Amino acid sequence: MLWHIVKRELFEQVNSLRFALAMLLIVFLMLVNAVGHIDEYKTQQAEYGQQVSAYSARLEGNSNNLYNLVLNGPGELHKKPSPLSFCAHGSENSLPKFASGERAGWGTIYNISGIWRLKYSGFPSIKAKDIFPVFLKIDWILIISNVLSFLALIFTFDAISGELEHGTLRLTLSNAVARRTVLTGKFLSSLISLGTVFMSGVLVNLLLLYLSGTLQLNVQEWSRIGGIFVVGLIYIAVFIALGFLISTLVNNASTSLVILLLIWVIWVILVPSMLGTIMSGLNQPSIRRGPSPVYFRYSGLRERYIARGLEDEALTRERPPTPATLLWAEFLNEEAREGARLHRAYLNAQINQIQIAREFNRISPTAIAQYAIESLAGTGFQRHLDFLKNAERYADVFNDFLIAADRADPDSLHVPFVREGMSDKPVSFESIPKFQDRVRLGDAFKGAMLDVMLLLLFFTVLFAAAHVSFQRKEI
Amino acid sequence: MLWTLIRHELLMNLMTFRFLVTVIASMSLVLAGSIVLTDNYERRLARYNEGFQRHQEGNFSGKTYSSFMPELDRAPNPLSLFNQGLDKRAKNSLQIRIGKVPFLWGDVSRNTGFSNPFRYLLADIDLVSIFQILFSLLALVFAYDAIAGDRENGTLRLILVNPVGRGWIVLAKYLGAMLCLTLPLLMSFLLTLLLQLQSNAIHYGADDFLRIGGIFLTTVVYTSTFYLIGLFISSVIHRTATSLIVSMFIWVVLTLLYPNVSLFLVNRFIDTEERVKQADQAIDQILEQFYWAEEVPGDPFENPPLLKGSKSSGGSSSYTHLKKNITFIPDASEIHVPTVKAYFQELTSGRIRTANKVWQIRETTFSETYIHKSNIARNALRFSPAGLYHLSTEAWAGTDLARMQDFFKAGRQYRETILDYFYDKKAFSSRQWFASDKGSVRWDDAPRFSYQPPSVFEDASNRALRDLLLLFTLNPMLLMMTFAVFSRQEV
Repeated sequence: MLWHIVKRELFEQVNSLRFALAMLLIVFLMLVNAVGHIDEYKTQQAEYGQQVSAYSARLEGNSNNLYNLVLNGPGELHKKPSPLSFCAHGSENSLPKFASGERAGWGTIYNISGIWRLKYSGFPSIKAKDIFPVFLKIDWILIISNVLSFLALIFTFDAISGELEHGTLRLTLSNAVARRTVLTGKFLSSLISLGTVFMSGVLVNLLLLYLSGTLQLNVQEWSRIGGIFVVGLIYIAVFIALGFLISTLVNNASTSLVILLLIWVIWVILVPSMLGTIMSGLNQPSIRRGPSPVYFRYSGLRERYIARGLEDEALTRERPPTPATLLWAEFLNEEAREGARLHRAYLNAQINQIQIAREFNRISPTAIAQYAIESLAGTGFQRHLDFLKNAERYADVFNDFLIAADRADPDSLHVPFVREGMSDKPVSFESIPKFQDRVRLGDAFKGAMLDVMLLLLFFTVLFAAAHVSFQRKEI
Repeated sequence: MLWTLIRHELLMNLMTFRFLVTVIASMSLVLAGSIVLTDNYERRLARYNEGFQRHQEGNFSGKTYSSFMPELDRAPNPLSLFNQGLDKRAKNSLQIRIGKVPFLWGDVSRNTGFSNPFRYLLADIDLVSIFQILFSLLALVFAYDAIAGDRENGTLRLILVNPVGRGWIVLAKYLGAMLCLTLPLLMSFLLTLLLQLQSNAIHYGADDFLRIGGIFLTTVVYTSTFYLIGLFISSVIHRTATSLIVSMFIWVVLTLLYPNVSLFLVNRFIDTEERVKQADQAIDQILEQFYWAEEVPGDPFENPPLLKGSKSSGGSSSYTHLKKNITFIPDASEIHVPTVKAYFQELTSGRIRTANKVWQIRETTFSETYIHKSNIARNALRFSPAGLYHLSTEAWAGTDLARMQDFFKAGRQYRETILDYFYDKKAFSSRQWFASDKGSVRWDDAPRFSYQPPSVFEDASNRALRDLLLLFTLNPMLLMMTFAVFSRQEV
């Protein structure tokens, strides 16, 4: 029976004007998306390759002396671009493309400099090209979250109220068929027809990208695309359920569309785009500038060490290491630790503000779907946090390597990280651990999990509500 | 007769559910938007004032001529609450340097009122974009059944039994609905003005009220355009349900998809990077030629320093010879002072020459690349009413590119004035250029910078009215088309 209803509804829908218009719109947008992204990944990849080789060259240049590596650090660690940026641009243009392991920046005291640390700058600066008018990039997220949700409402606003007006609903229910079967049947047929529209768009898009040679994906990336498709379907289902709910609550088809459109405008367009402004109001920025290098020179830390005799004695290469050397080593280590901690704390404060904004934003399923898709596509904020984690992990590995390399040198005093206490021999470039920004499929799915669950929750609540209100409806 | 019809339409519309929804939705969104935006503006203004105070004190505190490096601030525009345009995205301050012509291009932080660098992940909104989405949608919701609905109900036939022309019916429907739509719009504008004026930060003058009036007028014309689009669809398509669906598709395309798709494609396919790279190389070459080649006269402060035993204040970086303040010159070195004077005179005139050369390249490159590209984008936007509405309100609010350029032009003119002032004072060849030991510079008669934005009439006649007129022309066209279709129709 259910299948019968689905078939009937599906037949009706596929033959309707809206199905044709929807198909046209989605296929066109997907084409625009593909055309706009041809060769984009190649350019990004080439740029990334250049930066990575610049990084290697710098590392190689510094490897002539172990202490140079201690002082200058590994250099800029670059974020790997995602091949799926056509699915989700993730505002990558306003995120840093690298984290840098660089000099402490507090100059020298008695010819001694601080050792390297990880800094989180690299935000793109204001550019002349910013005079271009603001627009939304045509990526899958936009197509799914704005257009397909809209189509879902157009497909369902009269599902119940329209039939009620025509009287066909009474006719259907006069047969021996349960109301829930009718609702489920209608739901499934809407989902299938919109899914078909979505699928055709996706296929056209992927085909064009594939033929143009832009798309060369491995299994991992195909599974990401699969994940994105599923998230898209769940998101569409949320809006179909919403359409059914309002359509059962309201007796007049056009009233139900008016209500639905208002909900849509607020949920999909206004809430996500109002957030930046709202957050700037809610969160008085407590963070203005990054931790300044001056802080280290003049803060209590240095005074404490001076009190212990830091600047009394010059450093020597004497063996066993003199107390002055040991004290300097202790100071430099603590200073580096403290410095890294401060940079991290500053970053955390910034990230927290954005996290709060994102939590608020999750009142809109559009934002939820956006976050899930970005996670899966490997772009955007979540991906950036993963990248920073990679960079931090590498920073530890790099420091471990420095100590191990120092240990391997029999002439060294083994007092890291003062020049006099360390090996000053060249290290083999091959043995230095290189930074590789690894993207893990697990991270992506884990990052998207919460959002997918939330979307499912939205769907369940709305669908159950539609069910209940349909059951109780007088027809 | 017309009045009776209008009254009838008005009453019919006022009693409907959609009118209620219109009022509630527009009022609540405008309320929320205004509160948030006003707060944001206050923050930006506070930050501007802070910088302005600092610069005001610092700009004329130099003891020598060469240390004159003023920084000029661009005040945030309160009308950016309506249409933020480039107000938050363009540079907020401008530096006047002898060796550099100030320009929109460069690294200076923006004043967005929220200093987190990740903030660009979060979208921003202004009142115009709320109106743009909401009122176009509401206009279509009012229009989709205006004719088709009456036809379905049979009321149309009833009305036409009376001796009224069909034209009058369409006109009455249009005017009645527009009155209904203008009412919540007017209320929204009054509400937001009321909220904005509550704030101590916002003071509107007569000029600003005219601008707000312009924005209001543009919003009315914009709403009317969408109503007429809906009316036309309603007259062409006989079934209300179909008319509604077609209207909604057209709405999504015109307000959401067309502007974004066209900008996306223009941005992707008009490549400016190559040209900019060339210009950058040319500029680097000019700078290198001047600063690293023979054109720079030999530095009298190095091997061996001519003014031996002199003391100066300030740091010791390699560029300090551009900004020199010598506080003491021993008598023994006094004989070298003329040499140093000559050195600075030659250096400075060379710097000014170089700056002008660089500026020439920048100006042409900028207008051939970024401005050209954004003009194409703006022209592409003009094909949709939403784009016209955005551009026109941007010009009314004075947050568009032309205004930003105007500010930087004023900055360049100020630099010229300062240079003239220096020439008059013979500052470049004076001792006070680099030394304050015989008394520091008095800045009493130095020209001060003040920026007077163009009046509303200038902005309107140059840009705002053009787009408004384009938008307006759509109205009679659509009305005529509706007439034409409706008068030939079988009822």
